[in-house]
Amino acid sequence: MSTSNDQLQQSTTTTSSSSQDSPSSPPQQTTTTEISKPIRQNIAKKQTNTTLSTSGKRIQKELAEITLDPPPNCSAGPKGDNLYEWFSTIFGPAGSVYESGIFYLDIHFSHDYPFKPPKVTFKTRIYHCNVNSQGAICLDILKDNWSPALTISKVLLSICSLMTDPNPNDPLVGSIATQYLTNREEHDRIAKEWTKRFAQ
Amino acid sequence: MTSETNQEFNFYEDELIDEKIAAQQTAIEKEIANEQKLVGDLIELNTLLNEYLAEDTVYRSKITELSERFRYMRKTRGDGNCFFRAFAFRYFETLMGKPDEINKLKDLVNKFTSDLSQLGYNSFTVDDFKDVFIEELEKLNNTSDIRLLEEIFNNSGSSDYIVVFLRLIVSCYLQNNSDFYLAFLETYQSMKDFCSHEVEPMYRESDHIHIIALTNALEIPVGIIYLDRADQEKATPHNFPDDSNPNIFILYRPGHYDIIYRN
Repeated sequence: MSTSNDQLQQSTTTTSSSSQDSPSSPPQQTTTTEISKPIRQNIAKKQTNTTLSTSGKRIQKELAEITLDPPPNCSAGPKGDNLYEWFSTIFGPAGSVYESGIFYLDIHFSHDYPFKPPKVTFKTRIYHCNVNSQGAICLDILKDNWSPALTISKVLLSICSLMTDPNPNDPLVGSIATQYLTNREEHDRIAKEWTKRFAQ
Repeated sequence: MTSETNQEFNFYEDELIDEKIAAQQTAIEKEIANEQKLVGDLIELNTLLNEYLAEDTVYRSKITELSERFRYMRKTRGDGNCFFRAFAFRYFETLMGKPDEINKLKDLVNKFTSDLSQLGYNSFTVDDFKDVFIEELEKLNNTSDIRLLEEIFNNSGSSDYIVVFLRLIVSCYLQNNSDFYLAFLETYQSMKDFCSHEVEPMYRESDHIHIIALTNALEIPVGIIYLDRADQEKATPHNFPDDSNPNIFILYRPGHYDIIYRN
């Protein structure tokens, strides 16, 4: 992270005259490099300036927060120059069947963020009744119960606790939920096996 | 393993359905957005007559009667935020050029911000909404130029931030007065649960409880005029609180709130 920060720092200095970011903004806020500048302008043209600035400003703030104070066992940040596309890493919670696994997730913020929830999907296969084979996660705050006062940090925390305590009463994969309730031993065995196979 | 694969296949289909629903939802939202500004221009209330057929006598006679007392109105976008947006626009309009009242509201806003942080809300997201709320509010200190207000409320950035902050105020107020309000809830076990399902999410429609909470929290009475098919001669007025004398009036037609102006 430190090297990329240095790079960003540099690009801030080189493009600061044309950048619209406030001078007090932390270095992560400017994701411009020489190459991405036209892209940025392109995005600005497509979007009305207001939605870009409110969602962009908010995501930058969250990036600063999650970089300084990441939730336990998690990390997250932009994949590249696009502030709206992040990836995240979650270390399987200790004591859970996912312990010692490393799980990768994609995070997509829309330009309606934070009014609409971010889209979060598992990229690493996981044996879990609330995550299907496409990586889609069944979590209330990622759907109907999203509040603009929540953050991606809170979302990742909720995913971690979902890994510790699956919710078989609202499953995305019914067979795994049934197994979790009726044959916990077998469920845990397969989940551990998958963790070993896909997440290590 | 076979049964599991079947399940996965089914759930993949489910997900496709989910995506289709989401796409359709987006298309509907877009259509609504193209048809109606977040807060519309000032128009005469009797133009509503155009929305109802000639034989729809109940609505037509109520509109004609109402337009004698409320000549003008502004339509708001039907995006589930209409009550909050209508209220906020009209409330801010009454504050224009009144720095004393604006300061009073700012104090209240700061009180709710600290209450929210005591309830465990992430202060940087709450502050984000509060800052925009106050920033836009302060622009009104020394002006009575309605175009500025129209601009603030038709810019989705500022307009939606104001709506979110009002939703947070309602949530905060309800959670801190849950002993009283919990009795009105039928399907929710806790006030926190109700707020995270029905108050805080954007685009979630408002009910009586939202209106009561907002007017009590801000101590700003509001009159809602109910225009429906009920067999009466006049649209039914209802003040929140009951014994108040409001300056802010909102027209309710089933499922939607618009701003109306008393003569």
